[in-house]
Amino acid sequence: MLRLARTVAFVLLAAATAVPVAWTQQTPPALTILSREGRRAVPLTVINNQDYVLVDDLAGPFGTSAREAAGGLTIAANGRTIIVTADQSVVSAAGRLVSLPVPALRRDGRWYVPSDFISRALAPVLDRRLDLRRASRLVVADDLRVPRVVARVESGATTTVTLEVTPAAASRVSAEAGRLIVQFEADALDLTVPPLPPTQGFLTAVGPGTAPNTVALATGPRYGAYRSSSSQPDAGSARLVIELMPSTSDLAAAVPPPAPAPALSPAPDLRPSIMTPATGLRTVVIDPGHGGDEDGAHGPRGTLEKDITLAVSRRLRTLIESRMGLRVFLTREDDRTVSHDDRSAIANNQRADVFLSIHANAAGRAQVSGAEVYYLSIDRADEEARRRAADQAIALPSLGGGTRTIDLILWETAQARYLEQSSSLAGLIEQALRERVEMSPRAVQQAPFRVLVGANMPAALVEIGYLSNPAQEQQLGTAEYQTRVAEALFDALVRFRGVLERMAP
Amino acid sequence: MTPRRILTIVAGVVAAAVFGWLVMSALGRLLRAPAAPAVVVEEAEEPPAVAPPEARPATGPRIKATLYFASADGQRLVGVEREVPLAEGTVAQARALVEALLQTEAPDSLSTVVPQGTALRGVYVSARNEIFVDLDSAVRTNHPGGSMQELLTVYGFVNTLLVNLPTMNEVQLLVDGREADTLAGHVDLRRPLRKNDGLIVSPDTKDQDPS
Repeated sequence: MLRLARTVAFVLLAAATAVPVAWTQQTPPALTILSREGRRAVPLTVINNQDYVLVDDLAGPFGTSAREAAGGLTIAANGRTIIVTADQSVVSAAGRLVSLPVPALRRDGRWYVPSDFISRALAPVLDRRLDLRRASRLVVADDLRVPRVVARVESGATTTVTLEVTPAAASRVSAEAGRLIVQFEADALDLTVPPLPPTQGFLTAVGPGTAPNTVALATGPRYGAYRSSSSQPDAGSARLVIELMPSTSDLAAAVPPPAPAPALSPAPDLRPSIMTPATGLRTVVIDPGHGGDEDGAHGPRGTLEKDITLAVSRRLRTLIESRMGLRVFLTREDDRTVSHDDRSAIANNQRADVFLSIHANAAGRAQVSGAEVYYLSIDRADEEARRRAADQAIALPSLGGGTRTIDLILWETAQARYLEQSSSLAGLIEQALRERVEMSPRAVQQAPFRVLVGANMPAALVEIGYLSNPAQEQQLGTAEYQTRVAEALFDALVRFRGVLERMAP
Repeated sequence: MTPRRILTIVAGVVAAAVFGWLVMSALGRLLRAPAAPAVVVEEAEEPPAVAPPEARPATGPRIKATLYFASADGQRLVGVEREVPLAEGTVAQARALVEALLQTEAPDSLSTVVPQGTALRGVYVSARNEIFVDLDSAVRTNHPGGSMQELLTVYGFVNTLLVNLPTMNEVQLLVDGREADTLAGHVDLRRPLRKNDGLIVSPDTKDQDPS
């Protein structure tokens, strides 16, 4: 009993701290290990965008000891050994070969292994379950039940809180003074809460409750009663929907205030985004079209498309970084030739949530003008790609026997899985551009564009105007027009972030 | 750690790497299978250089064919009926259609989608009813750029062939005998393309062009 109480106390601490750690970049990154013994934090070192742990730091939580030998590192644990070689992504764990997503590194005499080492190599050697949650930088050990809980808040005449729980866990809602407590049949929760939309006084906060297996909803002044229902949309997860309603007297006395108009005004989101949600929009890759040997279109007065696309991409990056606080990468920083595959590879490797390719157009007729937005059309590969996208998980024979299931996404068909999202992204860009610049009569189109094919995320190509039109050529070269375009694209991204958050699991 | 154990581990790593490579390459081949190289069943009878169009008998039988040009607003394709020499077989007829597209002057208010100086090198048809049109590099070097103009060029060829040869399914453009990435940096030419009806102005609307 005493032990249980101690465990609860530890896990409680974990629930209160683990999630904020994953969100904010202010504290040094750390991997939280949750086990029956309590919570341990292992410092993380981010190298090439990958989470690495120092091998020495594994000694405490897992009782390992390490010894360098003949250019390699031998890690002993549980009477067995793991052999790690510098710059190799295959390690030998108790005689079986295990592959890691990125190689082990030796820096300044210290050994670093990717965080996946814990779940892939250490777990089989220790005969323990060590479940790595990469997104929340969490390792769940043994039989601890720590379901992932993603909260979603929608607000209209009433406010609805939806909690998606994976794997499914039973839950119970109870009302306390000023708040509702949702208790799950679990040891702790891996909780993700997006920023709250305006809820008209029904809800003031959503966050971890005092007990580690609870979520607390702090209710506002207009809250009177709740209604909850649970369902199981698929075998693996459960959904709990809690509707917050006004008290009956409130309902009788007052006509509910009209729902605020959806934020269609071009006012940009100026809030610093410290609470970037774990799902949604975190990384944007901007692709300045052409470059180097490829000039792209030429204006009649000699303006080159490659220069315009780079200038607009830079302006857009500055806007996104300063106002949304997202990670932004350009596929080229200067005037250089970059292949189409490299452009999509940059987006894929950065795990971008959106890929935007910026271009300027040309037509045979000088009078053609206006901006256009494209997303990919797929013709022949269509059915095939969709089918493959549907069963992307393929069991491969693994090194050392047996099979393992991997996500296999063909470069050729990567974009096929995102056509719907890309279509909505293109629609939002068109809408935002229309508020600020002239649009072509054919504003949104689909085309088999090479650079979009391999993008494994929602993607669109924006033609910001016609260089072949003398008036537009002049316009495209001005800072004023470039800023207008960048601001429109920024607005579109703010709106698309909302779409992604609503779709978040 | 005896040398023998190290040897065993090294041998294991090498064996696993070879096995992994075999699996991946076999898998790669398996998944690429649908895009297998087209089987050329017929080939153009003569190299283009020795068959200047002027040499063709002007009196031979001719058919009515629809050739595609850029619309006045520069954003669509417009079909125009022209007489094209009747040729024996799909390959020869496809060839005649492409030659006609390359040489026919655009009617008033329309413009050609073909970059200046583009010449035809050859036409092939695969067993899957895909037409391969091999153009010389002028189609790329003389292309004015811009995705709209590139779409019109590519689909000018694709639509001209597929509208007039309805038994054919797809068209792939080759440049200098090779598969090309794009013409001007936008449209994916690595696989055959289908007819694009979305770019075509229907005959009913083309007269009431806004511009």
